[in-house]
Amino acid sequence: MKKGLLYFTLVLFLLLSQFSHAANILNIYAWSGEIPDTLIRQFEKETKIKVNFSTYENNEILYAKIRAARSAGYDIILPSSYYVDRMLRQNMLAKLDKAKIPNLKHLDPQFVHPAYDPEMTYSVPFIWGTTGIFYNKAYFTHPNITKWDDLWQKRFANTLMLLDDTREVFSIALLSLGYSANDKNEEHIKKAFEKLKLLMPNVKVFSSDTVVSIIVDEDATVGMVWNGDAYKASQENNNIEFIFPREGFVIWVDNLAVPANAPHKDAAYAFINFLLRPDIAKEIALNTNYPITNLSGKKLLPSAVQNNPVIYPPAAVLKKGQFQTDVGEETLAVYEKYWEELKMSG
Amino acid sequence: MNLRRLQNNIYLTLMYAFFYIPIITLIIYSFNDTKYSLIWRGFTWGWYVELFSDADLWISTWHSFILALMSSTIATSIGLIAAVSLYRYRFLGRNILNGLIFIMILSPEIVMGASLLILFSKLDLPLGFFSLLLAHITFCMPFVIVTILSRLVSVDKNIFEAAKDLGAQDFLIFRRIIFPLMLPAICASWLLSFTLSLDDVIISYFVAGPEFQILPLQIYSMVRAGVKPEINALCSVLFCLTLGLVLLAQFALRKKS
Amino acid sequence: MKRDQNFKYFSLSLIWFWLFLFALLPTCFVVATSFMPPHQNDILSQTSTLENYQLVFQPLYLKIFQKSFVIAGLATLICLFLGYPFAYLIARMQGRLKNFLLMLIIIPFWTSSLIRSYALIAMIKTKGLLNTFLLSLGFISGPLPLLFTNTAVMIGLVYNLLPFMILPILTNVERLDSQIIDAARDLGANRMTTFRRIVLPLTLPGIIAGCILVFLPAMTIFYIPDILGGAKSILLGNLIQNQYLIAQNWPMGSALSTVLTLILVSLIIIYLIATRGNKKRDWM
Repeated sequence: MKKGLLYFTLVLFLLLSQFSHAANILNIYAWSGEIPDTLIRQFEKETKIKVNFSTYENNEILYAKIRAARSAGYDIILPSSYYVDRMLRQNMLAKLDKAKIPNLKHLDPQFVHPAYDPEMTYSVPFIWGTTGIFYNKAYFTHPNITKWDDLWQKRFANTLMLLDDTREVFSIALLSLGYSANDKNEEHIKKAFEKLKLLMPNVKVFSSDTVVSIIVDEDATVGMVWNGDAYKASQENNNIEFIFPREGFVIWVDNLAVPANAPHKDAAYAFINFLLRPDIAKEIALNTNYPITNLSGKKLLPSAVQNNPVIYPPAAVLKKGQFQTDVGEETLAVYEKYWEELKMSG
Repeated sequence: MNLRRLQNNIYLTLMYAFFYIPIITLIIYSFNDTKYSLIWRGFTWGWYVELFSDADLWISTWHSFILALMSSTIATSIGLIAAVSLYRYRFLGRNILNGLIFIMILSPEIVMGASLLILFSKLDLPLGFFSLLLAHITFCMPFVIVTILSRLVSVDKNIFEAAKDLGAQDFLIFRRIIFPLMLPAICASWLLSFTLSLDDVIISYFVAGPEFQILPLQIYSMVRAGVKPEINALCSVLFCLTLGLVLLAQFALRKKS
Repeated sequence: MKRDQNFKYFSLSLIWFWLFLFALLPTCFVVATSFMPPHQNDILSQTSTLENYQLVFQPLYLKIFQKSFVIAGLATLICLFLGYPFAYLIARMQGRLKNFLLMLIIIPFWTSSLIRSYALIAMIKTKGLLNTFLLSLGFISGPLPLLFTNTAVMIGLVYNLLPFMILPILTNVERLDSQIIDAARDLGANRMTTFRRIVLPLTLPGIIAGCILVFLPAMTIFYIPDILGGAKSILLGNLIQNQYLIAQNWPMGSALSTVLTLILVSLIIIYLIATRGNKKRDWM
């Protein structure tokens, strides 16, 4: 038994040494479903760089891991905008060598000067989306749903689906009260909380992973959802409609970034540049059904997609959106506290 | 008497149905012709086709299998020694050890995962296969110890007395008496550890690294993007494989006796 | 003689090394973290405070503890009533059939529990298999609203934790000497009495073990209430996860976890003290 253990350990060390000596590697840690497998294969073929692709499904675990383990080993990560905000302020991101990413020029000007990273020093916008209201028109003869406030109506008792995300849910109350979705004022947050408590009897489910199947299978017939997901659902169920609420809505952006201690930075730049190619961006859009930030890529899309008002709302509508920014840890704690109280009130 | 027999059999059948109907549902839905819906929309082999061309998924499966194999074997070995020592020897800190094992079973997995992440980062251990292995062995061990200990205490202490009187040394006693007696418990612990390791998501979440992707994590995040029937196809394949293996083993053993 | 000591020293040092490094140290980290000011995530911070523990005892969190206890307790009871007869019947069977039936229970659990939970969803949805089946047979007039309710959570918990109840009871019943039962019957006891006076007390350790192995995970599991219950309420598992991941408040998460551990440990100690009175031989 002792000998067996020794043998195992030896094999382990051998295996490990293999990994650390391989030169051309790229470790990607990203949201599942945003970078299609076929493109990874294509990148590997074109550049002969071996890609290790791991996924996470919330920003928090990404943040926790990169923060706790300096040698987490990832070269490319895909944080949402408010996490880019937080991570760059805590020096967790590497400054990008823009000379190695010439394809930056293909990006949509709307996204290249975000408030948290005005010169795109640390992040490159990749995929974006907005949150809005969906409803199943088969269940409502006169829907008349145009704003967040409509969700509070009594006729929606136990029918709503909300996203299981503190900031998103609070944003609908804040916006309906006329405040900013990134509000840091405790008074406003408290008011939003009081309003949300009144919404709870209408809520049937909070979901973040089976969103599309809930909508398609009509387990919930109205609620809040990301525009990309609403689009996917409408492709399998023609009764699904999506609207941008009048009071405003949240815009989120997922960004490509490189952790400060990334071991394979050059491979990372090559990959970012690859993703920014118009033809590749077009593939991403078609594959994931999410709106992309790449203007040249968008122009290559079939007009049915380019002009689809759900995925690419016209500028007049988009003006009412608010980019999601970091509110800071103290305020986030306040949001969390109310979130917990909200869920316990149900 | 027959009525009782019938009652029992019906009860057992219902229970097994309870365990297996979700599995059968899972297999049926792997043929579902839809990307997102969980309602039956039509039959297709498409997901199996996609599954067999998805090298990443198979690599993760293989990784998980190897990880589970190694961690359960090592955990069972160390756990066996630990259980025997706790049972037989009076040593300094014995009670602390007992308490520690207990706390490990009680700890929520998130806490264990987070604390191991801190530990590994303080030790500057890169996240990857090794960190996963250490973590898995650590959380499987308490279950091994408890299983084996609970069986050990029911062994007649006189056997050890007799062996010692006859001049046997500790290691011999371990090898010739304890080990054979505990074989069922050892197998049970191994199976338990294997199961726990294969399915562990939360602890692996924290300590996994980029170069060794494992199946539960991949499933967890694929599910986030919408439950794709491809995962169902994978689980169906794995399930049929293991069921087939067990049936085969049954058959082989039957021939033996 | 020397060989003798070798084995002992080897064993002890191996265990000590492993448990010290991977169990004691992390546990110390957790406890140390719980005394740090909120949102401070680096272990080596100097300040220490009882703030987190004060927060834990606020009515909101106490309510969460209470709700989790109730749900976990209920799940444990259901598992007990469903699992005990099952374990008993299987344990009394003959060798090979018994092993085979046992393996049949374990195999489903090598399939990802997450995917099996989604299969449960597919079954109990409004348009799922169960409703379609019952509707087509005319047993019900409208679909049963099972999904996203407490019932669904309970089904999910029981489904995932039942084997943890069955296995300990089974190993316990296996060691039951059938001669005792036969003797009781010979002396005129009917089934009920035999069960109540002999079988039940003798299998009590297995029952306790099973209840512990079910209750503990039930207290801290979070994805089942999330996906089957619609995430409409927060249980302890969700709370701790929230604190660690979303609120980035490791001290608070650690404090909650430490309190939970202390409560459970005290329960066990109470049980041990209560049963120490009996001079029975410890079967556990």
